Amino acid sequence: MKLFSTVAMIALLAGSLSTAWAQDRGGVLNFARYDGSKLIDPIYADRNPDIWMVMNLFDTLLTMKDGVAIDNLTQSHAVSPDGLTLTLTLRDDIKFADGTPMTGADVVFSLDRARNKDLTSWADLISSIDTVSAEGNVVTVTLEHADPAILSMLATFSTAIVSKAAFDAAPGATDQEKSAAIFASGKPGVGSGPFYLSGFSQGATMDFTANPHYWRAGADGKPLPYLDGVHFEIIPDDATRVLKLQSGEVDVAELIPFSRVAELKADPELRMELFPSTRIIYAPINTRETRTDGSANPLADVRLRQALNYATDKDALVALVLQGSGAPMSSPLMSSQTPLAADMSPLYGHDIEKAKALVAEAGIQPGTSLTFTTLAGSADDATVFAALQQMWAPLGVNLVVEQVDSATRGAKNKSGEFDIHTYGWSDDVADPAQVVGWLGYNPTANSVGTGWNDAAFNGLYEAANAEVDPAKRAEDYRKMQEIYAEAAPLLWLFETPYAVAMSKKVEGYVQLPLGVNKFDEATIKQ
Amino acid sequence: MMLTGRFKEALKKPGFAVGLTIVGASIIVALFPFAFAGHDPTAMDYTAINQPPSLEHPFGTDTLGRDVLSRVIWAYRVNIPMAFLATVFAFVIGVIVGALVGFHRGIADAIFGRVVDAVITFPFLVLVIAVVAVLGPGLVNMYVAITVVGWVYYARLTRAEIIGQMGNDYASAGRVMGYSNSRIIFRHLLPNAISPVIVYWMTDMALAILLGSSLGYLGLGAQPPQSEWGVLIAEGRNFVTTAWWLSLMPGIAIVLTGLGFSLIGDGLADILRPKG
Amino acid sequence: MARSILTRLLLMIPTFALVMIIIFVLVRLLPGDPALALAGDRASDAELATIREKLGLNDSLLTQFVLFIKATLSGDMGRSILMRAPVSAVIANKLPITIFLAVYSVGLSLLIAGPLAFVAALNRGRWPDTLIRTVFQIGLSMPVFYIGLVLLTFLAAKLRLFPVGGTGIGLFGQLYAMFLPAMAIAFYTSAIILRNLRSAIIEVLDADYVAFAKVKGLPPRVILGRHVLRNALISTVTLVGLSIGNLMSGTLVTETVFAVPGLGRLMLEAIFARDYPLIQGLTLTFAVLVSGVFLMTDLFQSWLDPRMRQ
Repeated sequence: MKLFSTVAMIALLAGSLSTAWAQDRGGVLNFARYDGSKLIDPIYADRNPDIWMVMNLFDTLLTMKDGVAIDNLTQSHAVSPDGLTLTLTLRDDIKFADGTPMTGADVVFSLDRARNKDLTSWADLISSIDTVSAEGNVVTVTLEHADPAILSMLATFSTAIVSKAAFDAAPGATDQEKSAAIFASGKPGVGSGPFYLSGFSQGATMDFTANPHYWRAGADGKPLPYLDGVHFEIIPDDATRVLKLQSGEVDVAELIPFSRVAELKADPELRMELFPSTRIIYAPINTRETRTDGSANPLADVRLRQALNYATDKDALVALVLQGSGAPMSSPLMSSQTPLAADMSPLYGHDIEKAKALVAEAGIQPGTSLTFTTLAGSADDATVFAALQQMWAPLGVNLVVEQVDSATRGAKNKSGEFDIHTYGWSDDVADPAQVVGWLGYNPTANSVGTGWNDAAFNGLYEAANAEVDPAKRAEDYRKMQEIYAEAAPLLWLFETPYAVAMSKKVEGYVQLPLGVNKFDEATIKQ
Repeated sequence: MMLTGRFKEALKKPGFAVGLTIVGASIIVALFPFAFAGHDPTAMDYTAINQPPSLEHPFGTDTLGRDVLSRVIWAYRVNIPMAFLATVFAFVIGVIVGALVGFHRGIADAIFGRVVDAVITFPFLVLVIAVVAVLGPGLVNMYVAITVVGWVYYARLTRAEIIGQMGNDYASAGRVMGYSNSRIIFRHLLPNAISPVIVYWMTDMALAILLGSSLGYLGLGAQPPQSEWGVLIAEGRNFVTTAWWLSLMPGIAIVLTGLGFSLIGDGLADILRPKG
Repeated sequence: MARSILTRLLLMIPTFALVMIIIFVLVRLLPGDPALALAGDRASDAELATIREKLGLNDSLLTQFVLFIKATLSGDMGRSILMRAPVSAVIANKLPITIFLAVYSVGLSLLIAGPLAFVAALNRGRWPDTLIRTVFQIGLSMPVFYIGLVLLTFLAAKLRLFPVGGTGIGLFGQLYAMFLPAMAIAFYTSAIILRNLRSAIIEVLDADYVAFAKVKGLPPRVILGRHVLRNALISTVTLVGLSIGNLMSGTLVTETVFAVPGLGRLMLEAIFARDYPLIQGLTLTFAVLVSGVFLMTDLFQSWLDPRMRQ
């Protein structure tokens, strides 16, 4: 009894103290993920579950705030008037998680890795860099040509800073082997991010522990992060992940199916967050004159592609698939969160009469059969198909479904063996060049496999990527979006937020528009 | 004569009779779904999605406002033939191959033994998934995949039964009388050896529905907007707590039909089991 | 005895060879490209070409096959494309979980089906028999993914009797955490075992030697123990041994639904990512496991049943 009351007193006291300071510290956050990381290294991360975790273990020189790159690991940064030289002055209080200080040599090492084409597919992001050198805490970067996106790229995960000493000391003959060895060791020291990786079991669990030497301070003046650590569990099944949260076994569950959002919103113990994202769902349309089997492709006619877009009631799709937690796309080339996105909404607003007129003009025969390729096992894709089949029937289009797995869909996209298929995209960098290069610039990947190839568009894209005048660059991107919307090589569907549900005890966890999971300011009430 | 007698005897047992009734009723529903379904199974109504059961929609409506009862009923058209089509070719091929290698033994039997070992050491579902992935999803390819893997089990069973029968007098009597091999196999050995295989076939039909549903659930079986019980459950699984009728109703249909086939299998086992 | 084991082991060589050829051809027939699966849909054509070169996918099929056989014979199953780690290490990491789940579910099935089969057989044709058989028929007709969902929703999330997923720590932790997935599989296996065991017991009860023993005046307990139990055990062991392949299939779906990180889930992932080395390694592992169980079944059988020893 006495013991009990003492415990109760302490608890009461602790409770009142924590409200006085209003800052929860400590504790381990339990997080249910849909897929596991394989290797978290800035340059080898190429799947979203890897990419989105990089920033928790590593830090970038600059960081994006309101669309502008600002200092992060640097005290200051400057671009020469000709745009060819960057001077970065590093902060002198940055330490890796094992306490060793970060120096200019680490920056040179990291950037040289990040632009090495033999090591990483992300090298293209900073292909404009000619040399990187350091003297004391001043790093000089020279460019081969002016690059309007270079500052954003220094705020991108692939250019995050790794410790040269950690790599020198790691066992292994190649950089890949060293990286894998460091990842497997579970020791601090390779990164200077708010956490370090302290445990990893392939496909099952992963643990982050707070970096005691992290440089940024929290609201209470003490260093971030607030949490002692994060424990991840990999639960690929949507329904199971939600159950895991509802049973209180985890504090946060990501990638909540949109069909569950309303239900979880109503749960008094949970908070349902819809974080703005750069994720877009669309369907590439094969624009080639003939299909791969040699038959004539009716979709080569731009009027049919436009008609299909007009006949698609995107608001209805948002209601059916996303249960209202999203919006139709407003720019034909990117999400509304991407810099330089033009707001062209309603982008092909629902207009069945216009669609019918276009189909008649194009001379499309009633009963024309089109194949819609979807992802097997995806409830969302099945719903989209069922709805489109009905929406397009008045045009005389007979829509047939073909379900494939993700690898097969990717292969079909490359080979052009499809009519229309579902697809999704989210940006990895805070710049439109990546997504526009993917969707519309033919040399990258055949304009997302559609075969659409427009000389004017390609020219604008190349010009924009060397254009240092922000206003002129924005103008180039505006023109590209207009050309693209008119040509309709896509069926535009919708933008989706990141749906994350969490216990009400959790505060401060966010997922950024690029998908990054950010734990540095997260707290959990004990 | 004897068999019909036993059949009548078996009918008196409730299990067998119930099994026959369930399967018989299922076949009738599969033949005339329009007579039982009150709604068009593909007609959507965006204004009435996920409605709980009511007089208008006894099993409620689904995520696109379609009538769940009508979808479950139309799914009989897919699932009942599935039980038969997914197994019958495996049955025929397996029985013929099993009888031949069981009778002749020798090198063919040795090769057969290795093939059987190779196939049964694969997890069944993995092999089927791989074959479906190669051929592409869809019901026909699913049947092909199940047949390619499934015949082995029938062949194995038949072979063992044939070898057992070979020891009997009438087999050697047939040889002495100079009957052709095929006559001995198919007129004398097989009729005596086949009953366990038929019993297994009945059980396998129930399993075929389960397997087809598992594949439909993974998106590798029936294609939307076709109704299929596994697909229906998959569609409803995100709504187990909010719209339970979406997955429960097709779940009941699977269990009921599977029960029907299993009961028939049990009954047949009693009828065909040698007595005395 | 030793000779028959040796023969069985030698016969496994052509079986494994066949398994490897089938899987090698099958994975390469799969549409889709491991390079694309690895690099993601975003990859440009140039990147894909580099990755294909690195993975050795540009070699002729024959070269790939020869390399693959050589490596396998020297005990090297290659590196997993998806996991970026040696296949052997990836599999060794997951193997205990799947074996634990399989053994656990078989154990549960026997515990459930064993006693009930006796009750059913001894009450043949009466209501306990009918009731037990009907309940198990329903178990036999339920898809594992549906049972799993129902168990999770009600026992784990609603009543919070069990954890929703994971594997637990320590023997008791594991037994507790994996109870629901093991039950989901046991629903099906126990139904099969019960059906088989019941008819085996009935067959023995009807057999002459049991009738003789009864006439001799042996107490029923002795009859049950000496004759019935042994014979029932033989057929049950055979059945469990033979259904090990199906059991492995069961873990495929179950591990996904219950978030158990075992080999079944790994296999699905590997197939979807077109991870050729991992699929091949897993197939070989399954083949060795299943063949091993078959062999043990045979040995056990001949140990229990002296007639089979010749």
